Amino acid sequence: MNAEKIALYIKNHCTADDYSLHLNKSDSHQTRFAQNGITQHIAGEKLEITLNVSFGTKSGSCTVNQDDDATLSYLLKTAEDMAKLAPEDPEFIATAAAAKLPEVDNCDAETKALQPKQMVEIVQQAINKAKAIDATVSGMTEKHYGESFMFTKNGFVGSNCSTNFAHSMTLKKGSVETKVDYDAKRFAPFSLDKDFARLAAQAEALQGMQSFEPEKIAVILRPGALQELIWFMGWMMSRRQSDEGFTPFTDQLGKPFFGDKFSWYSTLQRPELSADPYNHEGIPAEEICWVKNGVLQNMPCNRHWAQKVNAKPCSGYNVYIPGADVSEEQMMQMVPRGLIINRFWYIRTVDGKTGELTGMTRDGVLYFENGKVKHAINNLRFNEIPHDATRRILALGATELASSEMYVPTMLIDAFNFVDKTSF
Amino acid sequence: MKYLDLAMNAAASLGAEYADIRIQKTTDQVIYLQNLSLKHTNTEVLYGYGIRVFKDGAWGFAHSNVFSDEAVLATVQKAVDIAALSASVNKTKKLRLAPERSYIATYKTPVKIESLDVPLHEKVDLMMEVNRTMLAYEGIKQAVFYLVIHKDEKLFASTLGTRLDVTTQFIDPMIIATAVHNGDSQSRTFDEGGRAVGWEWIESLNLIDKAKQIAEEALIKVKADVLGPEQRRSLILDPNHLGLTMHESVGHPTELDRVLGWEADYAGISFATPEKLKNYRYGSEIVNFVGDNTLKEGLATHGFDDDGVPGQKWHIIKDGILNEYGSTRDTAMEIGLDYSRGCNRATYYFDQPINRIPNLYLLPGTKLLTPGELIADTEDGVYIQGRGSFSIDQHRVNFQFGGDFFWEVKNGKLFRPLKKVIYKSCNPEFWNSCDAICDERFWQPFGVVNCGKGQPSQSARMTHGSAPARFRNIRVGGSQ
Repeated sequence: MNAEKIALYIKNHCTADDYSLHLNKSDSHQTRFAQNGITQHIAGEKLEITLNVSFGTKSGSCTVNQDDDATLSYLLKTAEDMAKLAPEDPEFIATAAAAKLPEVDNCDAETKALQPKQMVEIVQQAINKAKAIDATVSGMTEKHYGESFMFTKNGFVGSNCSTNFAHSMTLKKGSVETKVDYDAKRFAPFSLDKDFARLAAQAEALQGMQSFEPEKIAVILRPGALQELIWFMGWMMSRRQSDEGFTPFTDQLGKPFFGDKFSWYSTLQRPELSADPYNHEGIPAEEICWVKNGVLQNMPCNRHWAQKVNAKPCSGYNVYIPGADVSEEQMMQMVPRGLIINRFWYIRTVDGKTGELTGMTRDGVLYFENGKVKHAINNLRFNEIPHDATRRILALGATELASSEMYVPTMLIDAFNFVDKTSF
Repeated sequence: MKYLDLAMNAAASLGAEYADIRIQKTTDQVIYLQNLSLKHTNTEVLYGYGIRVFKDGAWGFAHSNVFSDEAVLATVQKAVDIAALSASVNKTKKLRLAPERSYIATYKTPVKIESLDVPLHEKVDLMMEVNRTMLAYEGIKQAVFYLVIHKDEKLFASTLGTRLDVTTQFIDPMIIATAVHNGDSQSRTFDEGGRAVGWEWIESLNLIDKAKQIAEEALIKVKADVLGPEQRRSLILDPNHLGLTMHESVGHPTELDRVLGWEADYAGISFATPEKLKNYRYGSEIVNFVGDNTLKEGLATHGFDDDGVPGQKWHIIKDGILNEYGSTRDTAMEIGLDYSRGCNRATYYFDQPINRIPNLYLLPGTKLLTPGELIADTEDGVYIQGRGSFSIDQHRVNFQFGGDFFWEVKNGKLFRPLKKVIYKSCNPEFWNSCDAICDERFWQPFGVVNCGKGQPSQSARMTHGSAPARFRNIRVGGSQ
């Protein structure tokens, strides 16, 4: 990507009062496999150039994916024409000014250099391992390298480069299905042997499923399950939406709205986590505490709303939920009976004001009693309010990397509300 | 365009058993207005090509946005190389492609007024008026108008000799009124899910009246009662609501790639396995689902799919029995079919096409029946309008749905408005509980323009449709 050339073109030709330019380039390789064979295999580079312009408080924008002069001319003209035709925006805010951005390290040279042949070998080995235990495996191996760049007429300049390697595997053996995935900015820590051993162990533990009726029961949520809940709860945590009365967090800032064992941060201090140094508005990433010992400290707030309510604009860029040192075995001793949940699936909002969500378990549920795993059970549906559930946290385990942007612990939560079951 | 022949000749000379190139320009105009503030006004043009090579029982797909002989040839080479790598893994599991003939054809979505040509100020003026109309109601705290205009221009060539020129488009207006009252917040939405038509549809919709209706209904809803504990009741579902229900519980389970386990790692698989074809009672005898990629104004009506297979019409469920799947050239052969139903579609040029839901609709009842008569014939139930929360397991068996607007039905009458209603059911219980469908006078299409599936994730579009229908003995109750 010739970012300087594109930026120079815009600087030289844009007649708008204000503008911001956003460039994103990516190079990806994705190998998708299913039932022990490759079904899709994709490679290529992508480019995205977005120009936002404004005349007074009238704004418009355009996005293209080519950087020749003719396309840049179209980009400029389209954005400017749209802005000129737009009405005055009562919530207009000028683009970001120069800002000090944090040093981040999202890019790994070894991951960037990973070759298609290496990735296909990983797939081949995963399939061989599945065949060796008379099972089938499905998943995806993918590598991404990305560069982004943003600058504004008011002086903001930011750039970032990132890598990501991910490998997911769903194993089917008999009637058992279960999944393990790796998703991180660095390839080096990945171990197929380790991940497949975990996958095979999960599958073994899930043999002999017994029927279980839904009820309110204690759950041990593994990091893969917890991350799904946290994403959905995070999407509801908008400062403006809350201030205007649309979310469960209305009038809760500064109050102990969550359980006191629950804290939540976005952090630049965990080297395992990816962290974009700025967001699309040019808000710099910085240490943010969203919830501390149950007290709601901050909510994501865009620049317009921050100005209106005299708050500091802020934006989430990764999730860090501190854990403790309670093992799953210890958690099983802390309640008479309960369930261990690997993952959730198809979570949706049931009621935005109460924050109630629904969803299913997936990839393995284990029933335990008297401190011991007894057997696997069928998948269950829950209807639950996650911030309520944090008030029922009994214990926290060690924090793990659930994905490149999520570092969360295992949690023991009491009386999780299961309402229905499925046939498998 | 010269690149079509250049790419296909190069692929053939490199040993491809089959190859195709899709040169695609996608234009999206998105306008998002919230409380009279334009939050987003963007035109996006993504232009490039994807080349698929099939060799030794495996696919390779490479894409580029650079238009030159060198770039096209390099992209072909990359696709060939990737196919060879895939084939090295697929030695004992080779894919096969269903036979297909060649076509030289053009297809264009029929439109009277090109939506992208309508001046921005005309669109924004209408949107502002709709916003003002909703905000004029005391208690409406947020008014949203979200407008999407989408156009795909594709040139397709394959080594079969097919040459296609396909232009499709749709428009999707969505308006939302949100009311706040006494510590609660509830929304009502006008959303028909998009339609493959031009701006003339917008002019026919009378959106100002729609804005008044949804603002008034949002205010009714926020003050409405909650149903209370779950119990078995009758459900009457309007066509808009049923569009989503059939999408999740019939459309996805009958995609052949899911049936084969190709989505096992992500979107999930299907309970509707091949041994159930022609014998499994999916629904009651009045339940007939048709896949129809020839449907007028249908979002999946493209003339041809991205395999170069023409649009078709077929029964997916016939008289309640699972009849056939939606298939592609590479999935069909896996269950012994020697033809594809033409369901392979990609979203952007950089996406490898995957098995998608066709336009899929429930045929209307064959006996004359109005919605009023259906309600009059129902003693204890809930009438649900519009779409709400939806969640279904990865085998497409157990599901829970909400809705957008609810009425309790008592003794054949709409008794009181409700909020926060959810129902739980499963396959095959749900469609077997269907005991009445209104007649064809009340059949309506509803679109889905954001059907997420695949890794990497793609967003597809298709049209569903039905007349209002009744389902007996379903678990219905209020949320927490």
